[in-house]
Amino acid sequence: MRRTLVSFLFSAAMLAYPRAFRKRFGGEMYDDFRRSPLGTVGMLRTLGALAINGLAERRTAAVRWAWFSNATPHLYEPTGRHHMSFDALRADVRHTIRLAVKTPVFTTLTILTLALGIGATSAIFAVINGVMLRALPYRDDARLVNVWSNNTAESRPRNPLSPANFLDFQKMNTTLDGLEGYFAMVTPTQLEADSGAEIVFSVFVTSNLFNMLGRPAALGRTFVAGEEAQVVLLSDGYWRRRFGADPAIVGKTLTLYGTSYQVIGVMPRDFVFPYPGMLGPSGFTRVTSIDMWLPIAFSGPVAAANRMLTSTGQVVRSAHWWGAIGRVKPGAPLQQVDADMKRIAAQLEQAYPDTNKGWSATVVPSIDQSVGSIRPALMILLVGIAFVLIMASVNVANLLLARSVAREKELATRVALGAGRSRIARQLLTESLLLSVTAGIAGLLVMWLTLTTLIAVAPADIPRIDEVTIDWRVLLAAALTTILTGLFVGVLPAVSLATVNPQASLQDASRASVGSGRRRRVRAALVIAEVALAVAITTGAGLLLRSFVSVTNVNPGFDTHGVLTWQMNLTSNADRLAFYRDFFARMEALPGVVAVGGTTRVPLGSTSVSTSLQRESHPLAAAELPEVQFRRAMHNYFQAMGIPIRRGRGFGPTDISTAPPVAIINETMASKFFRNEDPIGQHIRIGSTPTGPWTTIVGVIGDVRHGGLEEEPQPEMYINYLQGPPVSPFIVMRTAGDPAMLAEPVRAEMRRIDKNIPLYDMRTMSSLRSDAISTRRFVLLIVAAFGVLALGLAAIGVYGVMSLIVSERTREIGVRLALGAKPSQLLVMIVGQAATLGASGVAIGLLVALPTALLLHGQLYGIQSIDPATFVSVPAALLLISALAALVPAHKATRIDPVEALRLD
Amino acid sequence: MDKFRPESFLPLTPVAFEIMLALADGERHGYSILQEVQSRTTGAVSLHAGTLYRALARLLETELIEELSEAPDPKNDDERRRYYRLTTRGIAVAKSEAARLEGQVSAARSRRLLKGARV
Repeated sequence: MRRTLVSFLFSAAMLAYPRAFRKRFGGEMYDDFRRSPLGTVGMLRTLGALAINGLAERRTAAVRWAWFSNATPHLYEPTGRHHMSFDALRADVRHTIRLAVKTPVFTTLTILTLALGIGATSAIFAVINGVMLRALPYRDDARLVNVWSNNTAESRPRNPLSPANFLDFQKMNTTLDGLEGYFAMVTPTQLEADSGAEIVFSVFVTSNLFNMLGRPAALGRTFVAGEEAQVVLLSDGYWRRRFGADPAIVGKTLTLYGTSYQVIGVMPRDFVFPYPGMLGPSGFTRVTSIDMWLPIAFSGPVAAANRMLTSTGQVVRSAHWWGAIGRVKPGAPLQQVDADMKRIAAQLEQAYPDTNKGWSATVVPSIDQSVGSIRPALMILLVGIAFVLIMASVNVANLLLARSVAREKELATRVALGAGRSRIARQLLTESLLLSVTAGIAGLLVMWLTLTTLIAVAPADIPRIDEVTIDWRVLLAAALTTILTGLFVGVLPAVSLATVNPQASLQDASRASVGSGRRRRVRAALVIAEVALAVAITTGAGLLLRSFVSVTNVNPGFDTHGVLTWQMNLTSNADRLAFYRDFFARMEALPGVVAVGGTTRVPLGSTSVSTSLQRESHPLAAAELPEVQFRRAMHNYFQAMGIPIRRGRGFGPTDISTAPPVAIINETMASKFFRNEDPIGQHIRIGSTPTGPWTTIVGVIGDVRHGGLEEEPQPEMYINYLQGPPVSPFIVMRTAGDPAMLAEPVRAEMRRIDKNIPLYDMRTMSSLRSDAISTRRFVLLIVAAFGVLALGLAAIGVYGVMSLIVSERTREIGVRLALGAKPSQLLVMIVGQAATLGASGVAIGLLVALPTALLLHGQLYGIQSIDPATFVSVPAALLLISALAALVPAHKATRIDPVEALRLD
Repeated sequence: MDKFRPESFLPLTPVAFEIMLALADGERHGYSILQEVQSRTTGAVSLHAGTLYRALARLLETELIEELSEAPDPKNDDERRRYYRLTTRGIAVAKSEAARLEGQVSAARSRRLLKGARV
């Protein structure tokens, strides 16, 4: 019994060896094995070793048989099946290489087409991988979520929390392994150095945040829980930029706003927190790259200085600027966490109706929070490149199919000599796979080039674009794409030729061969598919282009030309009004300056803040007060920006702090809150406190697109800086010439005014406007490139199939010409045939384009998904291209010599 | 084929050299090679059928050993047994491998990596 079992196991292990080896040595090996004195364990180990050696031998044999069968005389005769398959593979590979070398143009074209397709597809995938699939730079990032306040009534679904609410969420939740907080805004902070003052961009975080994120410092340490000391943690980028990567930085001190902070560590290079997507709408700067992190506590002078405490020392519950990120307990589903937070929010709503009425909570996975905004655009690129790759493959399949006509006799001879159908099919698949693998290798270079270019031209506001690299996932995807493409382009010729009838083919000496009609139909179908895909891609590109034009033509409500803007921080508590008086006078005195003003929130890409509004004429309960956007205007702001004053007046030098408070509102606010009344002279009160003086509306200005060009204007009000000057304003300067020319004079003048007030984020308004559409332009450019490629591929496809048709019908055309057909009739016939192909393609293409247009929906602006102009012009263009592509073969047909054509037989 | 150069086969794999050592004093069959190697190295080189026969296959291919057409003593052994012996080429290769190893060993000695340093 045991012996049978052992013998069976031995036979099983021997199966690992090549058959020939087994036959030659199997008997001896069994004898030796049987004689060896082994225990059960030893026996099993020997069997395992036998099997492993067998696999190794099989590999050795495979390599030899496939590549060096002549060079290495082999002991055991290669007669088994294994030999056959490797021998055949080798023969096929050799044959393919020979064929490829004999037809260099065809080979180069094919490989180049596929390499471009595979390379570009892999590059797009690499971007998607880097942005959306790779882990965020935190430990176990899949369990991290961002917690937001959610006010449905005011449609503010992801609003930061208030500090007091954050503390309650932290204490009361049952589904999180920790919830930590941060200021959902970047704070420009003044750093005093020997060389003068500089601005650094910092974020306050709770001291345990880094522990929860699970990333240690690259140098030094992170904050310990409960740390309230004046310590600071630097980002890698800032450490390199500012301190030349000084390895002894830990322990040194930095002076921020006159206070010493000790550097305790530097974070790793890949560490980012918070991602721009994790920031709230308010804040003081549009800069989102972080230089340093500071710990914040809920009591003490730092908390008070950052307006986290009320005048009575309570933690603030009414103001929302607090971000929260938490780690979900293992196994807790997202819905459960979301329900948990909503439950807490409901309890808080009951406990604090004054501040919390209408505020629920919502939970968003941190990866979505970071990159969710770019996902639709990337999906569009992925679908677009997939279409282009399919079209390229169809073209190559078409080329292979065309070549198969020429090779039919070769293959028929093989079949006649006894090659099986599967053998022929395998040969053809080997050919196409070899082509695609070569293309895949060349595609790696294309991918690298494309990726480098993409990253270089990508707008900076695509999140994580700098984290894109080529990793194993990208390579795996490239390999899969290569193999799938190889199978795809090979399968049609393989199927079509494997069924070749040798008798008919070999008999049929010179005429268009039997079965060519079917093959022609296959090719026609391929061309129709190509035209259809081209319609879909071009429609998408057309819709994006039309949207881009709409966005470009949007009137932002102010004049972006000739405006320079920058930001600055005032630190001293000296008389700000006096400072500004001097500042504006000296800036306006610079040559070429038309007007200078400032604001707390500059349009396009800065931040915004809102306040609740009381109207004297419409008293409401505190929880029901509407929210309006709230800013300060400084000096000649409206004039410098070119914002028109529609009614009433602008601010004047008389609107000082001792004068009655006045406000200016935009047209949207006027029509929303004072529909049937004259807004001028109306009294409003800012905030929800039911006491204090009323503010009088003195003017109405035109609407401004604040958040972005595509965002509808919101109700917006301004108060004057003379009635409470801000500390970190955006200055705008209208100039007569090129605003960039004034950058240096402005800086020089500022140094003369006060060298300790650094200017930062200096930009022209035109570049801000350009940045506001940069992602849209990026996507459009890529999709437009896809569209051009698609049109070209479609034209080549139509041209190819029409050429084939003409050459196959040479005799028929000759007969027609001999019987008196006019060349023009032939021309019409052939072009008409191409147009028919094109029309079928267009019809199917429109069906494909409809869902494509819906996919684009979120990216469209100012047009309908079914945009008539696009949906008419694109099909028309494709029809025209189909007809034009047929002109050359058609022209060739008219020049066929009937005598020559009929003599061919 | 070009002129036969024993050095072109060097270095031999340890298993191949063990087999050639075992065959140096006469022809053997597979199991006898196993036993010889086992006893000579007191188990330090662990051979089993898998490694042995793969090495034998390589040696046969390169004609460093050959198979005897008949067992040396047909009465004693069952017919399944196949005997192997070194060829002239094999002897030449084994010699040059031994010389190569000796060179290494003496180098190791001179650098005090081995006991009994002569220098």
